[in-house]
Amino acid sequence: MTGVEVQLRAEIPVARPQSDIDGATARQIRDGLARLVEDGADSIVLDLSDTPYVDSAGIDMLFRLSERLRQRRAVLYVVIPDEAPLRRLAQIVGLERAVSVHPTVEAALASAAPASDQPGAAPS
Amino acid sequence: MPGGDPAARAAALSGADPARLEHIRRIADSALSYLSLEDALSELLDRIRSALEADTAAILLLDEDRNVLLARAARGLEEEVRQGVQVPLHRGFAGRVAAENRPIVIEDMSHADVVNPILRQRGIRSMLGVPLRIEGRVIGVMHIGTLHQRIFNDADTTLLQLAADRAALAIDDGRLTEQRSVTEIMQRTLLPEALPEVPGVRFSAKYLPAGTGFGVGGDWYDIFHLANGKLAFVIGDVVGRGVLAASVMAEVRTALRAYLVEGHDLGDTMALLNDLLVSMGRHRGATAAVLALDLEAQELELVLAGHPPPVVVAPNGEPSFLEAPAGIPIGIVAGEEYEPVRRPLPAGSALLLYTDGLIERPGEPLEACMDRVLAAARSRSHELPLAEHIYTELVHGDALEDDLALLAIELVGLGHSIEMRLEANPMVLTRMRRTLGRWLLGEGLSEEERFSVVLAASEAAGNAVEHAYGARDATFALSCTREGDLVRVKVRDSGRWRESQPHGRGRGLTIMRALVDDVEVVRGAKGTTVTLTKRIASDAQ
Repeated sequence: MTGVEVQLRAEIPVARPQSDIDGATARQIRDGLARLVEDGADSIVLDLSDTPYVDSAGIDMLFRLSERLRQRRAVLYVVIPDEAPLRRLAQIVGLERAVSVHPTVEAALASAAPASDQPGAAPS
Repeated sequence: MPGGDPAARAAALSGADPARLEHIRRIADSALSYLSLEDALSELLDRIRSALEADTAAILLLDEDRNVLLARAARGLEEEVRQGVQVPLHRGFAGRVAAENRPIVIEDMSHADVVNPILRQRGIRSMLGVPLRIEGRVIGVMHIGTLHQRIFNDADTTLLQLAADRAALAIDDGRLTEQRSVTEIMQRTLLPEALPEVPGVRFSAKYLPAGTGFGVGGDWYDIFHLANGKLAFVIGDVVGRGVLAASVMAEVRTALRAYLVEGHDLGDTMALLNDLLVSMGRHRGATAAVLALDLEAQELELVLAGHPPPVVVAPNGEPSFLEAPAGIPIGIVAGEEYEPVRRPLPAGSALLLYTDGLIERPGEPLEACMDRVLAAARSRSHELPLAEHIYTELVHGDALEDDLALLAIELVGLGHSIEMRLEANPMVLTRMRRTLGRWLLGEGLSEEERFSVVLAASEAAGNAVEHAYGARDATFALSCTREGDLVRVKVRDSGRWRESQPHGRGRGLTIMRALVDDVEVVRGAKGTTVTLTKRIASDAQ
């Protein structure tokens, strides 16, 4: 089990966690995402639209993963709908300082498309 | 009295000899059944030896896999058992008695074909042997021998056959008991030791072995938590009875659990299980119903493989059978696909899972039996757990022809407070968040408020789990109460609070403080208690 379900959208992997992201699952989800980069992806979209909870262990994983991807010239895009309570958490921990956060998968993909030319595109 | 008929037969043959009658009585003696098998066989051999004035008496049992007779008990020939004498079927004296399934007399051993050297060493001159039979099938041989030459007559043969019949019954009984106890132990270890504790849900289960034959069949049930916070319920029935059915059931049960815990959905799980069972070549079909319950969404997902549909009792008390594609039993056709369906399961509902022992009664049409199940579910009282109620209404006192497993899940709802004790293991966090979320929903909190309280509590629980790192059987307690517009969540553990660490847990405290109005951390010698208080803005109650 990879911890994430992956679909390719315009050649960009869109990963959806199959559970909350917490101390029990963060590592599995990180490994699932890291594998996508090892397989050659330079942009990854992590869609949290249907993920009810991410705890501090999950946030910690996202910060570290984002840094790790940056070193490999890859970018992590995170999708959190505007109305989702998870937005509140993202603000509290300053997730947007480290990761590009978008309200929809489409917005993330639009942002990711030119990112292959200019890694580290500004968050929307 | 056991053996009454052969005794009468023997009495007729023996004429009016009172000593003979006394011997017959002693051999048919029902008190022998109270002895252990070993003691009963030895006692029986002693009695036949004295009745027929023989010097030796022995029992050999047939090992059907290897076609040899093995010495099982002996008097006057004890070394036969100690040395583990084996006589091939068809060969020697005992081998011929068994192969020909008839009494054989040898008047003079010096001219006979004897395989067993002990018989010669002992100096036996004459022998009489009879087969041990169960339902006409030969299971061994009983023989007696004399050191002087002797001519055995029909009355001797009849008396020895009576003793052999008695021994065969005792041996067969012993085998049944042995097999029953093995399967019963197996069954007991395979059923969940305890039903899980989930606030707001009442579980009840019954497993009843059939009244006749081998004590155990292939019925099983299972309940466990899934990583996504849902509860999984399984009930199934492997075709057949006895040790083999129970061992296939063990494999199916374990594989099913593994597929589900690994994250396969219900349909894939059933398809994988089907292919596995077919590939193992067990030639044993099984029926199963697998359900996943999302308590928060109040939704049920189920898939059937040839299993009768579970009963759902609506909040208004009206029962019905859950509608779902029937599916074919697993283990028969490779590559079969199974289609799961979703059904709502609102608060106040109940579910009854059962095996076909409940709806198959000899001489009663299936329809009538199913109606009786619905009627029993309709009459449920809230005092008695549903599985107990169904058992009392439909089964109690009846001798079952088939095994029966019952598993009931009743959504009784949460009160105005919850108390949970959880293992200090990160795997419990999802379950804790779902339960707390459900309780807060019942308390009328908004989505945002629920998220805040649940996540803050989850951080506190995460800390408790971390405190217990490495400790065996560690637990922590969660209690949630509502006082007016305040919701209070307490997380108590028996470890030490860890001051902010560079990552993760340091952030945990920040998250808690941002999400609830008050965070109190009390560190004591016996552990740490975190109390979270949130003022509810909405005037929900």
